Amino acid sequence: MDHAPIWERWLRGVALILVVLFFMFPIFWILVMSVQTNETILRSPPSMAFEPTLQNYQALITGKLETQAGSLDIAFMQNLWNSVLLSVCSVALALVLGVPAAYAFARHKFRGSEDIAFTLLSFRFAPPLLVLLPLTLYFQDIGLADTYVGLIWVYQLICLPLILWIVRGYFEDISPDIEHAYRIAGHSWLSTFRRIALPLAGPGIAAAGLLAFIFAWNNFIFALVLASADKQPVTVGALAFVTASGIQYGQIAAAVVLSIAPTLALALYAQRYLVEGLSLGAVKG
Amino acid sequence: MTEQHPLGLSIQNLTKRFKSDTALDDVSLDVPAGGTLVIFGPSGAGKTVLLRCVAGAIDPDAGQVLVGGEDVTDAPPEQRGVGMAFQNFALFPHMTARDNIASPLTAARQSKDAIRAGVESVAKLLKIDHVLSHAPRALSNGQKQRTALARALAGKPKLLLLDDPLRNVDAKLRFEMRLELPRLLADQGATVVYVTQDYKEAMALGDRIAVLNAGRIVQLGTPAEIYQEPATTDIARLFGDPTINLLDVTPERDGGGAIVRLSDQRLPLGPGFEQTIDHPCAIGLRPEALSFTEEADGVPVTVEAETPFNEKIVTLVTTLRGREILVSRPTGTPGPREGAARIVARPGAAVLFDRETGARIPPAPSDKAQTEAA
Amino acid sequence: MATATNDAQLSPPTRRYSASKRLLPYLLSLPALLVCIGILIPFFTAVFYSLQRFRLSQPWNRSMNWGENYLNFLSDPDFWNTLQISLTYAFLTVGLELLLGLAIALLLQKPTRLNNFVSIMLLMPLMTAPALAALMWKLMTNPNFGILSYFATVIGFDDMRWGASPDTALFTVILVDIWVYTPFMMILLLAGLRSLPKQPFEAAALDGVPKIQQFWRITLPMLTPYILTASLFRLLDSIQQFDIIYALTQGGPGDKLMVFQVEAYLNFFQSTNVGRSAALLMILWALTFFLSNIFIKNWLRLRERARGEV
Repeated sequence: MDHAPIWERWLRGVALILVVLFFMFPIFWILVMSVQTNETILRSPPSMAFEPTLQNYQALITGKLETQAGSLDIAFMQNLWNSVLLSVCSVALALVLGVPAAYAFARHKFRGSEDIAFTLLSFRFAPPLLVLLPLTLYFQDIGLADTYVGLIWVYQLICLPLILWIVRGYFEDISPDIEHAYRIAGHSWLSTFRRIALPLAGPGIAAAGLLAFIFAWNNFIFALVLASADKQPVTVGALAFVTASGIQYGQIAAAVVLSIAPTLALALYAQRYLVEGLSLGAVKG
Repeated sequence: MTEQHPLGLSIQNLTKRFKSDTALDDVSLDVPAGGTLVIFGPSGAGKTVLLRCVAGAIDPDAGQVLVGGEDVTDAPPEQRGVGMAFQNFALFPHMTARDNIASPLTAARQSKDAIRAGVESVAKLLKIDHVLSHAPRALSNGQKQRTALARALAGKPKLLLLDDPLRNVDAKLRFEMRLELPRLLADQGATVVYVTQDYKEAMALGDRIAVLNAGRIVQLGTPAEIYQEPATTDIARLFGDPTINLLDVTPERDGGGAIVRLSDQRLPLGPGFEQTIDHPCAIGLRPEALSFTEEADGVPVTVEAETPFNEKIVTLVTTLRGREILVSRPTGTPGPREGAARIVARPGAAVLFDRETGARIPPAPSDKAQTEAA
Repeated sequence: MATATNDAQLSPPTRRYSASKRLLPYLLSLPALLVCIGILIPFFTAVFYSLQRFRLSQPWNRSMNWGENYLNFLSDPDFWNTLQISLTYAFLTVGLELLLGLAIALLLQKPTRLNNFVSIMLLMPLMTAPALAALMWKLMTNPNFGILSYFATVIGFDDMRWGASPDTALFTVILVDIWVYTPFMMILLLAGLRSLPKQPFEAAALDGVPKIQQFWRITLPMLTPYILTASLFRLLDSIQQFDIIYALTQGGPGDKLMVFQVEAYLNFFQSTNVGRSAALLMILWALTFFLSNIFIKNWLRLRERARGEV
């Protein structure tokens, strides 16, 4: 099997390089762009000869953009903060709500459990606007419009099914006998859940939480529909930033880098969980 | 201490259905305090379900479970005061062997010193005190099995449930444990219910054996009773190695009593079997109840093959009509000549079964029973 | 003495579950149930809106018109355009991503250190928010300084306007979609490929079956469930694509890229035509519901299989 002809190995090598080039180049290029001044960005033909500068990042972090026309406020750090707040809180809430439910679905096949699980799952695949548009009107009525609470609630639409289905699979993988054994040894239901079920499903809960975080962070449409400027996460904020800043390309690139860095770092850190998570546990890698 | 209830465990009319399958069908059993009951049966007979109902891991549909006289049918598992060892060990994979064994003691909120002492004494008893700091995955199968047993024993439960604990260990260890367990269990003083599929284990461990099949108790008795007077042909086949010889026969009248014929040789059935004459039956003859003989009234057979085991030699013979019979004799005793031989059955060793129902036909109580006994 | 007491000790058929024990699972799943209800209420509201004449700008003119919104679609070229572009987009992206993803998965099949490293690297586009990915590509295709625009000029496309031109807009958004989602296909198919049993391949190699034939006769049939699951999953997402298209062109130029969700979004927030917007989404929902049912069934079967093999 290993004695592939030379031409085949060459072909594979070239194909691999092309694949890496296509998928890595945009990230590389945006990174390079983010450490350039507008002048070097706009050179034609583009060149790799430039003096790297952190001024774009500096401008974003201080929130002050100095241009010839004067000083411009940028709220990008607020967007970044919103992203962190919304993603962390949504995942935390989804874990608190989803893990016990996942346990109930895995262990007690009670009436209606499959229906609830499937409704949640099928809405994972339904058009999000279908739920969002009526919600904008409801939210105005009940005072949740443009609030973090309202957004976190809507984010459950993506976080909860993910956590429910992944964690449920992990709970199902724990032999019920292990739990029976702990209870027969004299421990209550709650203590068995905490000392046996939770630790044993730990990797699954971590994977689900991680993936839910990434999906929440990357979400665009929920905040676009429901949040005003000061509550918007980076996905929506970066787009608005383009319109507002006009031709400050270096800063836009820096903003994109800052926006994608957290999820990329998480993904690389925990890549072994992602394959299972992405397929909702369908394909164990 | 309060005085001990005479019954360590009482199961009354226990029934459990899974969808359309009836796993337990109106099972009732009593085990005296301190006694050992073995539940024996083929897989799928309901043994494990029964044990789980007692432990509280499964809720029965009907019936009661009384532990030490107290109705625990509705009590959660942690309040039943039982210890259980699982067939698949069910060790907590994220805890060391020590913490596994300690789990009944931590539940009882014992002091740290008491827990340490308790774990160490039971670990020493089971010879696993040197692996207490290991995680389950670092233990050998035998050590896992002992850890599981130690965990069940650690809480000093009044009732000990052992679900085929030797099933998943190798033959050598199983043999050792079979010798070791009875003493260990006797020392505990607990009431023991032991589930197994291995008749040797059942015979070695039980004061009583309950044979379970298809969710019903088909025979309950001492090991000797079950071996010598199996209630059905199925039970007769399950107990004993090599398997009992079961031959279709139709008893005939001969003089005063009933006989059957094997290779045209008369084999008297003894008194009390007159009612079976002309009735289709099966006769059960244990291989070790048969022996070779030089006497002319022996049943003529042809020797086909001999298989030596460690402590016995099993010979396959065929009757004149080609029916196969196994004969077992202790190693070192003289064997038959090649080819033609004669065999004889130990008097009173034959068991007669109804061919249609498979049920044992006991001898009818008779007043002239003494006269023909030989 | 152990005795069988099979004689009639009739115990009444009693309820075995204590109330608290029966309630526990419901209690545990109550929050999930509430979220479920929280989804279903707006969903049914949307159904209701779709049967109304309802414009936010004319609240006084609101009334039930039953199926009129749907009937109007029949003679509405904008609707047919939306349907056509949505399906074109979905099938083109999924088809191309499947081919590319399968090719890359085959390339990386052998679990060498290099291959594993590359497959981890390829996670990065997938973990990039699609809206931000669109923004990145928008920068790369900027006519003033975009590196892709420069490359296009170098190879002779002087006036390549990418997302801004009706001729190349679809091509551009599909390119971004491929960049983001091909790794998804690749990862699922790679996991599938690596979980295939070895024996059939060894047997085929012994019999001297050429590699190309091994692929068609063994690999592909055995990989089919994975291909189906991954493709359906992507199809469900792709037919609803919003982020990439909205961030890149907002549905333009003109109505060139007016896929369902973009059209519905603009209908709601720009034309404030709630009724039409809801009806559009209902049709999209019907499409996805049909697909997702097939998907879920397939996926559950795959999941069972993966579970059994572990």
